[in-house]
Amino acid sequence: MAHSVALLQPHGVLAKRLPALVFYLHRAQEKLTTNWFGGAGYGEALTAWFRLLLTICAVGCGAAQAAPGQVSSAEAVYASAPPRLLQIRTLLTSAGQQTSNGSAFLVSADGLAITNYHVVSQVIFEPNTYRLEYTAADGTQGDVHLLGVDLPNDLALVRVDKHDAPFFAFDAAAIRGDLTKGERLYSMGNPLDLGFTIIEGTYNGFVDRSYNERIHFTGALNPGMSGGPSTTAAGEVAGVNVATRRGGQLVSFLVPARFASALLQRVRDQGPTSDLRAEIGRQLAAWRTALYKSLGEQGFRSAAFGPYRGPEPVAPWFTCWAQTNSGATPKPRADLNTTNCTSETSLFVASDLNIGNIQINHYYARSSDLNQFQFANYLAQLSQARLTGGGPYKKWYTPERCHEDFVGAAAADRPPLRVMWCAQAYREFEDFYDVALIAITQDDGREALVSRMSLQAVGYDDAMALGRRFLDTVRVSK
Amino acid sequence: MIWVEILSRHRDVAARVRVMGEEASIGRGYDNDVIVDDPYVAAHHLRVFRDATGALIAQDLGSANGTFADGVTGRISHFVIDGGQPIRIGQTLLRVRAPDYSVEPERIVPAERHRLPIVLVAAFTAMLLGLVALRVWLAQTGEPRLSNYVTPLLLVAGIILVWVGIWALLSRIFAGRSHFVSNLLIALAGFLASLIYNEVARYAAFALTWPAPSTYEYASAWLILAVVCFLHLRAISATRLWLKGTIVAVVLVIAIGAQTLQRSEAFFDIGRQNTARLLLPPAFRAVPARAPDGFFADVAGLRVSVDADRRKARPGEVVH
Repeated sequence: MAHSVALLQPHGVLAKRLPALVFYLHRAQEKLTTNWFGGAGYGEALTAWFRLLLTICAVGCGAAQAAPGQVSSAEAVYASAPPRLLQIRTLLTSAGQQTSNGSAFLVSADGLAITNYHVVSQVIFEPNTYRLEYTAADGTQGDVHLLGVDLPNDLALVRVDKHDAPFFAFDAAAIRGDLTKGERLYSMGNPLDLGFTIIEGTYNGFVDRSYNERIHFTGALNPGMSGGPSTTAAGEVAGVNVATRRGGQLVSFLVPARFASALLQRVRDQGPTSDLRAEIGRQLAAWRTALYKSLGEQGFRSAAFGPYRGPEPVAPWFTCWAQTNSGATPKPRADLNTTNCTSETSLFVASDLNIGNIQINHYYARSSDLNQFQFANYLAQLSQARLTGGGPYKKWYTPERCHEDFVGAAAADRPPLRVMWCAQAYREFEDFYDVALIAITQDDGREALVSRMSLQAVGYDDAMALGRRFLDTVRVSK
Repeated sequence: MIWVEILSRHRDVAARVRVMGEEASIGRGYDNDVIVDDPYVAAHHLRVFRDATGALIAQDLGSANGTFADGVTGRISHFVIDGGQPIRIGQTLLRVRAPDYSVEPERIVPAERHRLPIVLVAAFTAMLLGLVALRVWLAQTGEPRLSNYVTPLLLVAGIILVWVGIWALLSRIFAGRSHFVSNLLIALAGFLASLIYNEVARYAAFALTWPAPSTYEYASAWLILAVVCFLHLRAISATRLWLKGTIVAVVLVIAIGAQTLQRSEAFFDIGRQNTARLLLPPAFRAVPARAPDGFFADVAGLRVSVDADRRKARPGEVVH
């Protein structure tokens, strides 16, 4: 699915990153993942998020017989695929032209097909502006009816007007999660609208640090292939093309087949969802409740920063990076050590909204040359309360409101804190808030720990409970 | 002998004519003792003479536009002149005085110049520039640079000089004297007051966690500006103070209202409050730290405002 021009023009981004990737092959922190919203607003950061999530769409491919002699597996798989693959276009109703496109694959004889949620999301939020249309390999076109979605796994089930067409079966080993690392997978779709294509790649198990289960597929997925199937050599679906990582090489992601199979089963058992917009709200609420419950249960470990201790997340789906300014020239007037922990939990909700990101940062600063006033100003620059929004403010959020005070507890190792709490609500979803909590230790005029926790799409009570524990973990030993 | 004085609009003497004899005729015609080149004045407009008691009398000679006492509506045709009240004929102001008119006693030149205003100007200037420089210094967290001080100091000095220059010019035009030192003192005091307010507000926002003075700093800036303008107007002349005060107050209310509206709309446009969060050294904290329970009770209260924002429809929005 082609989200936007920016999304589909990777050349500039690739060119910029190339020197680093060519010469230094160790993994470097991706600046894009820690983009804070500056004064300019939500736009930039949103673009940054989208750079991460390159969506792909395509049409699937067929079963493969054992290849006789010179016929490769890919040839065999592709030979039978085209009638089972679809291209899904989102059309602007008024203009009749596509605004984005993706892929889908048939999973039943009566025209049920699986695609990505993000391929069809525009129609759900703005049904009067957009409509869906499919194109099959034989050139036939027709309407697409949405039957159900699985938003956390970026899947949608649709019905197209096809009867007695061949369709894909799900691979039993993939459903069980039993595929062998290194196994060949064949991804199909319509990359960049160039025509139905098959891509050979390797199954690499599940992505380690992702909260949502995703298959790491080493293969060149491209925009337009989203929603296409990835099959085994036997032509049975192991996953659904969903995303690729910009700045990586052939690093692509699939939604495991078992979620697609479950969605199909659910719609067959319970019938199509009547109000998809309300259903999205319910799925998001359930998803984020589980996410913050998991964060709460796994809790925080106490990490040392100079004489201070601050909370760092334990959950495995955080990626943490540390930085220092000690090597800077000219020599900084305060020493600053930074750690940033970012969760790999961001979820596509709409073409301009991603939610579920959690960030926990610590800045340990010690003045070398600044007086107490200058150091306080330095800390103020580090601790401006900025919420990490996942979409344009006016469309999705209420204004940010903040509360600020000194907080302390009667214990020797609990430094007094200057605490800021900022919150904004989501307009579309009930009891969804973005919250930022910042605590600055107030026990010393020349050194301090600035701790920040930013939670997206959290329930207010969950946020307060997590906030209390967060503040509780800030300690000092002197 | 009679003196007839033609006055400017500011009641300065523009011309002074001595008429020998006990009677003077005033008008546009060349057969008058005093000729007034005003198209609204009749050829023979006014006659001044002494009556039986010896008092000077002005008499309108039947002009179409009439004769008036300055500042009084209603034409008059025959009245006693006291030498103080100007007379208006057409668009010209006149004053008529007899040689026996008693002038004010001579003013005594002070033995030496007043030192106080000069000392105050020096002190205020030093405090103002010192405070500006101090703020630059305390906010300097990067590499120290002399130019960081020079620009704001020159800017402040430039603003004050231009401001005082304008008021001195106005004063010179309307009062005849520039009153430069008074105007300079007023401007310096105003600038200093706003800087000091600013510092106090910052202190209150941090040390007392009382952000209101800082939030409404713009209102205090307008208020100080209004007081400064009123004092400048008073320095020009101390007349009609109630009128000047009213005008300044009305402008002040309009300015504060407009900016309050702009800030409230900007809050919903930008999505965040337009206040920088400030920190001071921890030693400045003047209130006890609150227990977490109290803080989170306030945080729970914040939810009410956020939820209220959510229920407000945006302009042009169709609520689903």
